[in-house]
Amino acid sequence: MATETQPILNTPLLASHEQLGAKLVPFAGWRMPLDYGSILGESRAVRSGAGVFDVSHMARFLFRGPDVAAQLDHALGGSILDQPVGKARYTMILQEDGGILDDLITYRTAADEIFMVVNASNRHRDWDLLMERLPAVECADLTEDGGGILALQGPDSKRILAELSGVSDFCPEFLDLGELPSEWGDLFIARTGYTGEHGYEIFVSAEQIVPVWSKLLALGAAPVGLGARDVLRLEAALPLYGHEIHETITPFDVNLRFAIKGWKTRTFIGGDALRAIKDVERELIGFTATQRVPREGYPVFCDGAEVGVICSGVFSATLEHPIATALVKKGCEGSFTVDFRGKQLPVERTATPFVPHRSRA
Amino acid sequence: MRPTDRSYLESHEWAQLDGDIVTVGITDFAVEQLGELVYLDLPAVGTDVSTGQGFGEVESVKAVSDMNSPVDGEVIAVNSDLTDNLDTLQNHPLNAGWLIKVKVASADALHGLLDAAAYEQIVASQS
Repeated sequence: MATETQPILNTPLLASHEQLGAKLVPFAGWRMPLDYGSILGESRAVRSGAGVFDVSHMARFLFRGPDVAAQLDHALGGSILDQPVGKARYTMILQEDGGILDDLITYRTAADEIFMVVNASNRHRDWDLLMERLPAVECADLTEDGGGILALQGPDSKRILAELSGVSDFCPEFLDLGELPSEWGDLFIARTGYTGEHGYEIFVSAEQIVPVWSKLLALGAAPVGLGARDVLRLEAALPLYGHEIHETITPFDVNLRFAIKGWKTRTFIGGDALRAIKDVERELIGFTATQRVPREGYPVFCDGAEVGVICSGVFSATLEHPIATALVKKGCEGSFTVDFRGKQLPVERTATPFVPHRSRA
Repeated sequence: MRPTDRSYLESHEWAQLDGDIVTVGITDFAVEQLGELVYLDLPAVGTDVSTGQGFGEVESVKAVSDMNSPVDGEVIAVNSDLTDNLDTLQNHPLNAGWLIKVKVASADALHGLLDAAAYEQIVASQS
């Protein structure tokens, strides 16, 4: 969390964003592009072609040491010991009581090396916590090294990456990672993303970030801001810390058991608490609405009784109507309504993801 | 500078007096801050509105916002076409995108509101 004493951080692409007419907003201590004129238009560009997001605000950590996988396997909610070299994995940092402190991706770059990306808003807390939990591991916070992360997403991303590098079909499977040769040197790339589309996250050095960004735009990727990123991730029903997940929510509440692989048998922080849970009392569900957007914090009712709260809501650019996630009492069946600032209006329970994932395609 | 033929509120509404009728809208700055509009809620003709109180809501992709009445009076006309043509409000908030017309009791109904120059300073401080 940024405080007044910390100066705002700038992405290395600030000048480019300004040139592109971005609306820049403070976000987790950084000045980042919210949009380049149209949140909905940028969202559609990703679904129909390709877009590139500057997500250089996200925190990048590197952990190294002979015991690194075993220590992270204990420190994180998900299994790391069996994570293959050359693969990314989605997992989380849990409290002792099983509450979710953050979600993150680990990248097994070598047997004794793991790269990690965590939410910008949790960077310092995660770092301090991991320092405590990983006493015998070499750690580096690379977030302010002048490089960054470019997320190239959309059905056309495969062509763009091939034209960027001259290498076709790089990272053929979802969650693959590797070093892609390019005219700017090797680019560290993962087949990951936050849109539900086929896509890549490109980790670039200070020297690479400006020319690679420019080349991606020249090859047809639309610049996409954080506003569209939120629309796309919610359409894909991908959780966001502070909304679907936070300290008083466990992975069971929000159906994220896949992120804590091996939880039944592994020894890890939060594991005992999770195994002690007998009944999961809440569930994360999707709603669609006709006109008004059900927004974070709006109370949710089932047959007139209050049963939960909206976690996130956006106007879906792809579906052209509002969508939302809600954390509600498990097993409610009946007519759902939402209190839209004093007005009870119907919403319809909808299976998620709202827009099917194509990330493995 | 925005039109000087009307008055403004700090909360980014505008009000234009013609006889005893005040036309009310939101400013281009309000629309720009909201971003892409997705929903508009306007009162029915015959509704009483009062100064500083919400008369409707406008919702964008990013946020939902109350719109405040600059005057006391009765709504005598509503630009009801707007709710299905949000582009008009998006692109022409100072003219074709007017929202409601209110019948007011006194000819100095806009007394105390901001003139264009004063509103310009508000905008400059928030830009």
